[in-house]
Formats: sequence, structure tokens, C-alpha cells
Amino acid sequence: MSLLVLRAWLRDWRRRPLQRLLTLVGVIIGVAVVLAVDLANQSAQRAFDRSMDEVAGAATHQVLGPASGFDEALYRELRMAGWRDTAPIVEGPARLPDGSTIYVLGVDPLAEGPFRGAASDIGDVPVQRLVTEPGTILPPVGWFRDSGRAHESRVTLEAAGGAREVTAIDRAAERDQADAATDEGGGSLWVTDIATAQGLLDRLGRLDRIDVRLTDAEVDVLAEALPAELELVPVESRGQAARELAQAFRTNLTAMSLLALLIAAFLIYNTQTFAVLRRREVIASLRLVGVGRRAIFGVVLLEALLVGVIGTLLGAVLGIALAQVLVAQVAQTVTDHFFAVAVTGVTPRPLALGAVFLLGVGLSLLAALAPAWEAARAAGAGTTGRGGLERRARRWAAWLAVLSMALLLAGGGLIVTGAGALVGGFVALFLLIAGLVLLLPWVLVWTLRGLAALVRGVTLPRIAVRSLERSLSRSAPATSALTLALAAAIGVAVMVGSFRGSVEQWLGQALTSDLYVVPAAPASARGGARLPEDWMADLVARSGAVSVSTGSSQEVVSERGLVDLYVVRPHANWLDYLPLLESTVAREALGERLATEDAVLVTEPFAAHHDVRPGDRLSLAVPGGQRPFEVLGIYRDYGNPSGTVLMTQAAFVRAGMPPDGVGSFGLRLPAGVDVEAVVERLEAWLAEQDRAALVTRPGDIEQESMAIFDRTFAITHLLRVITLVVAFIAILGALMALQMERAREFATLRSLGLLPGGVRSLVVLQGGVLGTFAALAAIPLGLGMGWLLIEVINREAFGWGMDLRLPWDEVVETVLLGIGAALLASAIPAWRMARMRLVPALREVP
Amino acid sequence: MEQQGSVEGAVLSLTDVAFAYPGEGEVLHGVDFALRAGERVAIVGESGSGKSTLLHLAAGLEAAARGQVHLTGQALAGLDEAARTRLRRGRVGIVFQSFHLIPTLTVLENVMLPLELATDLSAGERRERAAAQLEAVGLGDKGARYPEALSGGEQQRVAIARALVHEPALILADEPTGNLDSRTGETVFALLLEQARATGCSLLLVTHSHELAGRLDRVLTMRDGLLQSAGSTEAAPA
Ligand SMILES: Nc1ncnc2c1ncn2[C@@H]1O[C@H](COP(=O)(O)OP(=O)(O)OP(=O)(O)O)[C@@H](O)[C@H]1O
Ligand SMILES: [Mg+2]
Repeated sequence: MSLLVLRAWLRDWRRRPLQRLLTLVGVIIGVAVVLAVDLANQSAQRAFDRSMDEVAGAATHQVLGPASGFDEALYRELRMAGWRDTAPIVEGPARLPDGSTIYVLGVDPLAEGPFRGAASDIGDVPVQRLVTEPGTILPPVGWFRDSGRAHESRVTLEAAGGAREVTAIDRAAERDQADAATDEGGGSLWVTDIATAQGLLDRLGRLDRIDVRLTDAEVDVLAEALPAELELVPVESRGQAARELAQAFRTNLTAMSLLALLIAAFLIYNTQTFAVLRRREVIASLRLVGVGRRAIFGVVLLEALLVGVIGTLLGAVLGIALAQVLVAQVAQTVTDHFFAVAVTGVTPRPLALGAVFLLGVGLSLLAALAPAWEAARAAGAGTTGRGGLERRARRWAAWLAVLSMALLLAGGGLIVTGAGALVGGFVALFLLIAGLVLLLPWVLVWTLRGLAALVRGVTLPRIAVRSLERSLSRSAPATSALTLALAAAIGVAVMVGSFRGSVEQWLGQALTSDLYVVPAAPASARGGARLPEDWMADLVARSGAVSVSTGSSQEVVSERGLVDLYVVRPHANWLDYLPLLESTVAREALGERLATEDAVLVTEPFAAHHDVRPGDRLSLAVPGGQRPFEVLGIYRDYGNPSGTVLMTQAAFVRAGMPPDGVGSFGLRLPAGVDVEAVVERLEAWLAEQDRAALVTRPGDIEQESMAIFDRTFAITHLLRVITLVVAFIAILGALMALQMERAREFATLRSLGLLPGGVRSLVVLQGGVLGTFAALAAIPLGLGMGWLLIEVINREAFGWGMDLRLPWDEVVETVLLGIGAALLASAIPAWRMARMRLVPALREVP
Repeated sequence: MEQQGSVEGAVLSLTDVAFAYPGEGEVLHGVDFALRAGERVAIVGESGSGKSTLLHLAAGLEAAARGQVHLTGQALAGLDEAARTRLRRGRVGIVFQSFHLIPTLTVLENVMLPLELATDLSAGERRERAAAQLEAVGLGDKGARYPEALSGGEQQRVAIARALVHEPALILADEPTGNLDSRTGETVFALLLEQARATGCSLLLVTHSHELAGRLDRVLTMRDGLLQSAGSTEAAPA
């Protein structure tokens, strides 16, 4: 390829720097968002996996007992019976003075060797101190760095056993190796000796589980040998639900980032097409002096490659920076909902970088393919006419509309048949989006024609509308990009709004007491703090409560793996408040049957994950073996994404399950009582007790829950903003292109006497028409996306159903935002056009 | 309101007008020229001598670096872009070499455009006058078409109709036949002359054809950035 040809082509960069910059921005943002989300996801995933592995270790199975633990003598018996590859564990959450939650893992360092060797430095020097000095604990290395605490500092931990001081040992200091403090030292797992853990977690003489390593042959032998109250459970079944949920959450994010990329692709395509059209004179002249079609094709692609490479490199830098922000967000969400995950630094892996590089450069080339072809093809005719391109664009619009119907049908089919589960849901979503977006140019053509007919008598609006229609190759992609961004904004608003509304409503229903008394230490299904049952009489006496409910969560082994069991002694009319979705029993009879029979209720996510229907039976491990419970109904609950089984205290006791204390007391006060005074009296009484406990109001719980909720969706808001920015740039680029191309027309109008202000209003009118079209088209598309997100994707991913709520204020806001963005985007070209020099523009070859 | 420097009764007058494109040497060095009401003048000259530039200055599309331009007695110097535009749209009609029709408007709408911009006529009256003007250039039946569906000659006739429809005092025409073959050019030229005479407006026309130029009242030659009289047929205006 001749150097002069290249120079003739690339000199345009100097003449229109802003235009070329927009292309670059499209690549940069697209690449940055995808890379950032991917990196953040990967980092959170690694942290999550590491935490899971540290807890589970290299065991193949776990021996589990009731939630309250089992006698440690069982462990000695197992070892005596010849099971050597076993390690006892006591575990549970605890709270640091700063309020953050950690996870305490009590191990027997001497037995641990085979299990957690590398992960927790067990078997190393400090471990001996754990055994020889009670009350010592190994925090994660990163904790010393982050908290600024020194080696051997005293820390107060609040756990099931009350508040206790322990000595934090820094493994690095102990080993005289400062460099041992690597990035990998994060996490929230605090390792200690089993005896210390038993004290902290109120487990004296008891164990939570025994880790074992078994060959396939040994599994059945050991299962047989275990006493009835113990269960042998494969390791994978623990944390499996959490893993799947975290995965689903990340899939949601990835889909959002791909949407941003799709919109960026529109931007790149738009600016590339314009880059070619702007230089049609150059192309024509080059062709006339004998430059071949291939050279033209090549030079356009070469430019795209250049833009792609530069944009991707800059985008990668921006993406890594953005990932630092996102990783904290993602990790926080995973922690809030699933498991304590430490935020680690973002380490871009070569593979991810390579993939993103291919994506960015590939997308740029792909977006330039059509314009390059257009350039090479038109060059043959001498000059590349806009007319021909636009006629083709209008023909294409009709074909795209046909194609769109096919995509819509395919997407609809996927939804109706429900094929492919979560991934199928996303595929359907993208099919529907693609289908509707491809339909847009056609709808736009007819809308503009209709508008043109409407303003037949009024010249300027007619010019504005007709020139939009005649520049379809320009106006359609920009409008699509804006529509897509606005629709995504509406869709997410519908989803988040519906979700938020449903959660709020659910909290209002679930929190049926006026006050709650809960342990100060974190609650948890296993190793969590409990309050004594015999507090009830005192609480009633001090508060004057007319009714007291109790509730406690525990992990129970079932035929479907470990399940979360919520045991309640409810208020009398609790069923009136329970958001029951389905039931085999009339509501009036339900309370009676739950109290007197082996019956349970399950939450919506539980039913979804375990494919349970009302009328099914669920076997739970009770002392003496498995016991079937009839599922009487499904109720709505957003508390535990893995799902919960609800059982009344009466059924629990009748099944012979060992009492496990109370996770929370709910007090209903008589009407008109001074709640503040009651709280004061209760707090005074609680202060005298040896168990630390708190009085909380439903309002506080609601507030905290909603705060977690909002944190979860903060990242979607961020992505939404980025998407809108890209769309804004797309519409700005398109309007600028449109106006530059029509410069000669504008100059003619000006020479005929149109005032500069008239030019401005013409341009702004065009922006307004495109913006309004995009905004109006975005409403049905966005509502459809919202519905799909709620009914298909969230149901598949989390098993959560929710009531569709239309957040009209946000829809209106988004619509106004879209029109505003289009008007704002037209400000720059309007200003440029109005002060354009007329003579050079008039001289331009048509 | 007559002003200093303007030639009495002239539709257009240039006094010692100089002009240079940004960053280039001077194109016009001090042009003195006056066009009387109803007078029809041709300007000839070599390519690049500054003929188009002169027309642009006369139309107020560019501002003179030095000297005075008066349009129907009104000085252009000191007027801002909007004021110059208002002056132009009321008093001047322009015919370009390459037609410059608005492709997104029909032929009739193109002709209606100056009426909409420069007059207070009602929509119906605008339509009527534009249709009559189209009829006058022989295109009464093509009003509903878009410009792309017309031949070059027809397009230029539409441009002439558009330049005349609002009855300006002055028509500026820059090589109106330059893009047409000689026979079509002849027809269009004759039409322009006839229409200018019919409406009684002045005409300043740039052309490369001495034959066509000779049919006007006066011929001036642009040379060395100055406008020189070139053995004209010094006939009095009709
Ligand atoms: N936009 C511009 N920037 C710089 N110089 C220009 C510009 N337009 C014209 N010129 C120069 O000004 C001079 C006069 O140009 P003009 O177009 O007035 O010539 P002309 O007499 O109309 O020529 P032609 O008969 O070829 O149309 C030329 O030398 C040209 O190079
Ligand atoms: Mg010229």
C-alpha cells in the first residue's frame, strides 16, 4: 500500500480530531467496562473460592451433627476405631470491636496437617503457640496491615460465648519474614486452637464437625459406623448453593457489561461509517488516479485497526483502574449475601487482558467492515454518493425488520419453553433486545415519514425531519444506541424497583413484632450465638409484652444436602402476615397442622433450587434417623437466597431435635405503650445478664436490610450511568456527522436568508426528534427487559419471585434524561453550524 | 436612509473594497463598482481572479477587509451576521453554478423557502406565488418532485425561480450555466434575463462566456484584484 495513499487517508485526523476522538472513546469505554467487570468478578471469585477452601480444606467429607454440635468424645472414638485422616473443627462467626464480622475456625493443629496445610500456614511455627498458649489466634496476615495492630496485640471478640479477649499472633512477625505478607493474606478467616474456639463459641466439650478424607470404598463403611445423630456429608454439598448464587450474581454483571459493549459497538460503527463518508472525495480521487479497491478497503481497515489498538490499550488502563472500584463493590455484595470474602487487590491476568484485547480490536475491525466495503464498492462509480448508500440503508431497514421478527420469535420461544435455564434466559434477553433494536430503523423510517407528512406546510421542520430520514444510515444507529441505553436504564429500574418494593413489603410483613431481643454476637446457622429460652418470662415481665415469639436458624442435614431450618414459636395470628404463595391447605387449618403434624413450609428460593412442590415430602435428619416432613406450602422470603425450611417449635420438639436456644425473641407490646420506656427497661435488665444481647426495633432491621440491598445494586447503577454516557456520545457523534454532511445544505439555507438562530433551532429540532423517538421506543423495550429480568432471569438465578412494579417516576425521569441528552448532544453541532463559514461550505462538491 | 460612501440610487455599490482569505494574500485590492436599479452587468475574468469572491462580498456572505459595500443603500460593514442575513434575504436572490437546491424539499417547497424566510405571507399565498413562479420558468408540473428527479437544466431553472420569487432588488448569479451543456445553458440564460427583466430587478452575473456576457448591459473584467471596464456596450438600462 502506497504511503501517500495512507497519508491522504489519515490526514483527516488532523482536520477532524473531535470525530476521530469519539471513535476512540467508544472503544475505550467499551473495553474498560468489560475488563473492569471481568477483573472484579475474577478477583471476587478467587477470594470466594479461597475462603471456601480454607474452611473446607482438603477434606472429601464432613461428619455433621445437630446445629448445637456433638460430643467431642465421638472424635476420639473415631480415631481409636482406626480413622486416622480426620480432623475436628469448631467454627462460627464473631464480631470485631469495629463491628466487622469474622469467621473463627478452631482446629486441632496436630491433626490438621493433611487438610489445611498450605492455606492457613498450619504446621508452621506459630501453630505450636496456638496449642501451648490458650487464647491465641491467627488473624489473616492482611488484618495486621489494614488495622494497624501490632503482633501480639489483644483483641476483644464478641461471639456465642460472649465477649473475650484473645492474643492476635502475626505469622510473619513470628517467622521474622516481613515479606510473607502478600496480597494473598486477605480473608476473614481467623484460625485458632480448638480449645480456644470452644470457649469463644460456647462449645465446651463439643464439636461442630469432623473433616475426613475418604476413598470411595470407605464412605459407606464410615456412614454405617457413625452414631445415628451424625451424618456423613460430601464437602461439595456445603457451599454449593452459595457458589451457584455468587455465580448467578456475576453472570448478571457480565450481561450488563456486555450491554455496555454493544452500545459502544454502535458508537464505533457510527463514527467509522462517518469517517469513510467524510472522505468520499479522497476515495473518488484516489480511485481516479488508479488506486485499487483492495487498497481502499485495506486502508479503511488499517485505520480501524489503529483505532482499535490505541483504544483498547487506553481502555485496558482505564478498566484496571475501574476494577479497583468495582472489586470492593462485588466483594461486599458477595459478603453481604453469601459468605465473608476479603477484598484483595485486582491482579489482571494475561488471559483476561488478551481476551479483552481481541474483543476491542476485533470489534473495531468488525464495525469498520461495512463502511470499508461501502468505500471500496462505491469507489468504482467515481464518487460515492450518499444517495445510493441511503437508498440501500432504507432497503436494509426493511430486511432488518424481517430478521428482527425471526429473532423475536426465537427469543419468545426460548422464554415460553424455558429452555437453557439461566443462560437460556440471558440468550432470550439478548435475542429480544437484538430483535427490537433491528426493528428500530424501520420504525424510525415510518415515524419520520409520518412526521414529514404532518409538517407538510412548515418548511423548516420538514427539512429537519426529511433530512433525518434521508440520513438513515446515520440517524438509525445513533437512535438505536440511545434507545438501548435508555431501555436498559428502564429495565434495571423496573427490576430493582420491583425487587426493592417486594423486599420492603416482605420486611414489613416478616417483622411482626414491636421489639426484638437478639444476641450481640453475630447470628448464624452454625456456631451462632443463642439466648437462653428461660429469658422469656423475664422479658414478658419487664416489657409487659402481650405475646412473645422466638426464632432460631440452624443447619440441618436433609436428603437434599444441608438445609437452613428456621424454627419458630410464632405469635398467634402469624399466618395472617405470612406471604403465602401456594399451599395445599386452607390458611385457617395451616397453623394447626404445622403445630401438630410433621409438616413444614419452604421459601420460594428453596422450592426453586430443590424443585419442591407443596405436598412433597422432605426428609430431615433427626436423632435416630431420617424423618419425613410434609411440605404444606411455599411462602415468599428474601432472607436467605439458598432458601429456608420453616418448622414450628412444636414440630421440632416432637421430632426429638435437641433444643438449641433462641436466635431472637419477638415482643408484641400492648397498644399505646411507651416503646422507648420499654426499651430502656429491657436494656437495663439485659446489662445485668451474662449473655450480651441487644434490643432492636423493626425499623432498624429494615434500615439495615435496605442498606445491604442498595449496596448490592449500587454497581448496576454505576453501569447504567456508564451506558448512558456511551449513548450520549453516540448521539453526539451521529448529530455531528449528520450536520457536517449537511454543511452545504445549511450554507445554502443561510445564503437564502436563514438566520444563525434558525440553523441552531433546526439542529436542536433534529436532536429533539431523535431523542424523543429513542425515549418513547425505550419505554416498551425497557418494560419488556424489566419483565424478563424479573420473571425469567432473577427467578432462574435466585429463585426469587417479585411483584412487578412500574416505577413511573423513574421511567419518566429516564425519558426526560434521554431527550435531554439528545438536546444537549445537539448543542455542540448547533453551535458549530450556526457559526460556520458559509463560503467554503457552499463551495463543497455535492 | 442613504449613507456616506454609497453611490446615489445604486442597488449595489462597492467602494475601494479589499479582501483576503484567512492566511492568504489579498484577492481583491480595491474594487470600485456600482450597479444601478434595473441594470444588468456581467463580470468576466480568469479563473481564480476573484469573481466569486466579489459576489460573496456583495451578498454579505463574507465581510470586506477594507472599503464599503452597500446593498440598496444599506452599509454592510458593522452589521452582525444576523443583520446581514436579514438584509440579504429581503433584497438579494442568488443563483449558484451548482444549483444548491435543498434535496429534502420538493421543488415547490424549495421555491417557497425564500417567501417563508423573508415575507409575512400566509401559507396559501406562499404556495400560490411559488407555483406561479414555477409556472413562469416552465416547471409548473414538476412542483411535487424532489430535486434529484430533475435534470441539471431543470434544477437550475428551479434555482432561478427560487432566486426571484420574493422579488429581490438584486440577483447575483455565479456561472449559472457553468454546469450545463451549451444548449441547455442558452435556454437557462435566456430565462434568467427574461425573468430579471420581467421583475425589473438588477442582475450581476459572473460568466466565462464572452458571448453571453455581451448580451448584458455592461461587461466588466476582473483582473489583478481590480474590476475594469472592458469595452462595454454602455447602453442605458431599460
Ligand atoms: N476558502 C479559500 N481559502 C483561501 N483561498 C481561497 C479560498 N477560496 C478561494 N480562494 C482563493 O481566492 C482566489 C479567488 O477565488 P475565486 O473563487 O473568487 O475565483 P474565481 O474568479 O471565482 O475563479 P473561477 O472562475 O475559477 O470560479 C483564488 O486564487 C483562490 O485560490
Ligand atoms: Mg468562481
